[in-house]
Amino acid sequence: MTLVYALLGVVLAPFAGILVAGFDRILTAKFQSRTGPPLLQPLYDIAKLWAKEPMIAHRFQPLCVYIYLAAAMVSVALFFAQSDLLLIFFVQAVGAIFLVIGAFLVPSPFSQAGANRELIQILTYEPLIIIVLAGIYLTTGSFNISAIYAMDKPLLINLPLLFIVFGYALTIKLRKSPFDISASHHAHQELVRGVLTEYSGRMLALIELAHLYETILILGLCSLFWTTSIWGMVVLLALTYLIEIVVDNISARMSFRWMLKSVWTTGLALSAINLIWLYSGGRF
Amino acid sequence: MLKKIVEHSQIKSPWLVHYDCGSCNGCDIETLACLTPLYDVERFGVLNIGNPKHADVLIVTGTVNKRNKKVLKQIYDQMPSPKIVIAIGACGLSGGIFREAYNVVGGVDKVIPVDVYVPGCPAKPEAIIDGVVEGLAKLSEIQKAGKPKKEAIAS
Amino acid sequence: MFEILYTSLTLCPIVAALACLILPGKSTRSALVGMTGIILIASSVMLIWNGPVSSTPAFLSSAKFTTFIQIADFALLGLILYFGIKFNNRIISVLSLVQIAVLAAFELFILDGHGAPAGLFCDNLSLIMVLLISIAGSLIVFYALPYMDYHEHHLKLTKTRQPRFFALLLLFIGAMNALVLTNDLLLFYFFFEITTLCSFLLIGHDGNKVSRENSVTALWINSIGGTALLLGTVMIYLQLHTLDIQAVIGKLQGSDAMLIPLGLLCVAGFTKAAQMPFQKWLLGAMVAPTPTSALLHSATMVKAGVYLVIRFAPAFQGTALSTAVAVCGAFTFLSAAALAIGQRNGKKVLAYSTISNLGLILACAGINTHAAITAAILLVIFHAVSKALLFLCMGSIEQHIGSRDIEDMRGLFGEMPKTAMIITMGILTMILPPFGMLLGKWMAIESAAGNLFTLLMLALGSALTVVYWARWAGILMGSDYKGESRPEHLPDMARYPLLTLLGSAIVLSISAPFIYSKMILADFTGTAAYATTNGVMANASGSFAVIPLFMIAIGVFLFALAKSGPGKKGAKIAGPYMSGISGEENGTYVGPMNKITGSVQSNYYLSAFFGEKRLSGVVNATACALILIMIGVSI
Ligand code: SF4
Repeated sequence: MTLVYALLGVVLAPFAGILVAGFDRILTAKFQSRTGPPLLQPLYDIAKLWAKEPMIAHRFQPLCVYIYLAAAMVSVALFFAQSDLLLIFFVQAVGAIFLVIGAFLVPSPFSQAGANRELIQILTYEPLIIIVLAGIYLTTGSFNISAIYAMDKPLLINLPLLFIVFGYALTIKLRKSPFDISASHHAHQELVRGVLTEYSGRMLALIELAHLYETILILGLCSLFWTTSIWGMVVLLALTYLIEIVVDNISARMSFRWMLKSVWTTGLALSAINLIWLYSGGRF
Repeated sequence: MLKKIVEHSQIKSPWLVHYDCGSCNGCDIETLACLTPLYDVERFGVLNIGNPKHADVLIVTGTVNKRNKKVLKQIYDQMPSPKIVIAIGACGLSGGIFREAYNVVGGVDKVIPVDVYVPGCPAKPEAIIDGVVEGLAKLSEIQKAGKPKKEAIAS
Repeated sequence: MFEILYTSLTLCPIVAALACLILPGKSTRSALVGMTGIILIASSVMLIWNGPVSSTPAFLSSAKFTTFIQIADFALLGLILYFGIKFNNRIISVLSLVQIAVLAAFELFILDGHGAPAGLFCDNLSLIMVLLISIAGSLIVFYALPYMDYHEHHLKLTKTRQPRFFALLLLFIGAMNALVLTNDLLLFYFFFEITTLCSFLLIGHDGNKVSRENSVTALWINSIGGTALLLGTVMIYLQLHTLDIQAVIGKLQGSDAMLIPLGLLCVAGFTKAAQMPFQKWLLGAMVAPTPTSALLHSATMVKAGVYLVIRFAPAFQGTALSTAVAVCGAFTFLSAAALAIGQRNGKKVLAYSTISNLGLILACAGINTHAAITAAILLVIFHAVSKALLFLCMGSIEQHIGSRDIEDMRGLFGEMPKTAMIITMGILTMILPPFGMLLGKWMAIESAAGNLFTLLMLALGSALTVVYWARWAGILMGSDYKGESRPEHLPDMARYPLLTLLGSAIVLSISAPFIYSKMILADFTGTAAYATTNGVMANASGSFAVIPLFMIAIGVFLFALAKSGPGKKGAKIAGPYMSGISGEENGTYVGPMNKITGSVQSNYYLSAFFGEKRLSGVVNATACALILIMIGVSI
């Protein structure tokens, strides 16, 4: 049964991801009083990229890209199999690391700078996510997702501050402003596409696909904060994503130093408060 | 079915890279005006991607001279096919008012094959959008005929 | 059977070491060293076969042996005192005098009825240590044979100093084996001091100014550990009237009564394992020839410290000392990882990573649950193998490109394809699931979740670790030759140790569930911390699917590798995007006046955040405070 869920998750996640990304682009356009692309635009982009002439910049690039995609798929599969949260996160990290290694392979200043910045992004969000997961453990007594579903109160009630911390990680992972530092969504001149610069055609299509998986995974983790009713979950997800888009639209891209400093200080302070509260037995 | 989706997608998602060969900037301003909310080319899936390795459409403004023709050719070569080139403005078409200058080679098509010519001095945003749409029609034609794209002309 | 194996694991390398000094000729020495290595590997494997035992061989309990050890103890301390005076280091002199005085008083006035040493004790922890020391140690010694030839050639030595070098390596391995098998605290102290002396002599081997200074540093820092260990031993004997390690642990079992001696033992372990603030000696130790570093960092020396703490962990389970050890270890894990980010010297990154990982192991020992100790033991295994591999690769690279700077290894794949591949794989075994190091880290974090400070530090440290490794692995495989590479000649004696280590890192990782259920579990009583069904390690708080993940990983890797072969048809190879006209060679562009201009690329080292200058002071001060707190809570 778990296997069926896992496979179902792997098959359906890209479609869900396309819809989410499509809505994202339309909403962003609306905020800027534009019409925006069709809903299925992310699908068109990926299919078009897939059909382009194969072109690589280094012989090991495909290796890195395929491992990135596989890691994203496996982590989604593990998520739908309700497995261990920490394990899911570590598997997902394999992909992130291989994306960086692939960018390091090519001696182009843009992809090198992007790779280094991507590492700083990983450095920024990784401890936060581990702490959030530990917070979940302290509430449910287990790292397994199934334990969260066994709860009769939503996690958000016990972990409100950790949810904000998770929001930081979410923004970085979704590559949204002010944290689209490594792959600059809008191809800013000093960076081109950063870590993605040297991937083209089919490789880029696979990366976009893997990013869809990651989006679903990270939204899935977000949904764990309200597991007691389906509507609560939907509202929570919709609200969170809406806030992400608004933040993306109203903020400028910041520097990685600012990111590291501000996210670590606020993130760690918020987590410490929430965790101390949990340790001191303030559960209800 | 899959083939259909791919074929459909190829004309639904043109990503641009814009190269200024030394225009008076009139055409550049008009090109960038297309990206503003007023014209909103994202309706057609157009993105200004800024990286030839990701782009499908090369938009060239200005006259080609002896110095930048190598750059132009390299950008073209770095784009994976299928790809189309749109020359914009009198300068991009023929060299325009700079045609007689000592360093000018002439229009874009002296260096790389051009698919769509958008005249004007400067070309109007509507005309440029028209040009991109025209280019997409050409792209699907290339796709249907399945013939490989011509190589660059001059070195 | 056990007695024979014990002799061949301890006495045999020590005798071979003496023979190395005496016998002339390079080929005799190579043969001798090779034979000893093979004997060591064979006997350690047979020891595993033989299983856990505890026994007291006749020769160990004879009065002659006891007297011999007593004399040797004083001779050893006298030697250390001599070096202290020779190098004019007051700390060493004072500490060795203190040790001589305490030891003399102890043996003359206090020790009575003790008589025979407590014999040998070999549980699964000792077995694992012996296996690591003997196999990783021997492979390192094999590798050293061609390495030292080149090294001496490079230094233009007229008279070879290899006899001394190999003698010390073998003596070191023998002493380590004896250390992990003994059940007598005084014997333990003796071998502990031998490893200190060996490391001092090995670090100073090249005999130049820097290596002499660094070896003296190593000696004075480790003398602190030796003194702490001796004082702890004496205090334990004063209260419990036994030096039998198992009896001591059995009597204490987490009681608060005797935390001071245990705290002293932990301090000894911390100095040996180069924990903050004692890290300086291990960082200095990298001036020695690479096989020395590999040996110090992987299976011997630092692992002696870790072994000491893990061994005594049951004795302070659940006490304040245990928590203090966890916090100290976690702090070292975090701070050493942060310092590693600021480094571009490859050997220094390796050194900081060793310190950091040992901190993680000690943090696990401090958390001190069944699951955490399991994590500690697994981390000891996987760290030893991967770290030996990385150091040996580093040695080959340094000899080939003449630099330790990570930035100089950019595009190493073009120069040294085989070594570059092996070291990249080695780095990946350090940070990625499903490899063993990550399994250990997973266990560590899951066990630490109940301890706020430890948890926060482990989370931050783990992210920092990923950065300094991934950054390094990334630039190794890039190449300036459009994906082509020159053929590389790797001597057999260098290649086989490297491949064996890499192979064992992978195979051991796959068999982690079996190592747990067959070996580690047996040392514990009570319910198992992890159930291992179908290669999945699981308990109530989580599960790690080791073997299924490995199957997926291998499948994906092979598929991805097939997709990226050198002659992949159809795929066009395009040069990097340089925003302008690229030059012929990768990474260059046509600049002003049509000149080909190279681009300079460098990783972020963030010295404003993580530089040694910026962090060292704060880190050392905090670490000293933590150590004082650790001793404080014992009182
Ligand atoms: S065509 Fe006219 S507006 Fe455009 S670049 Fe040339 S001179 Fe300027």
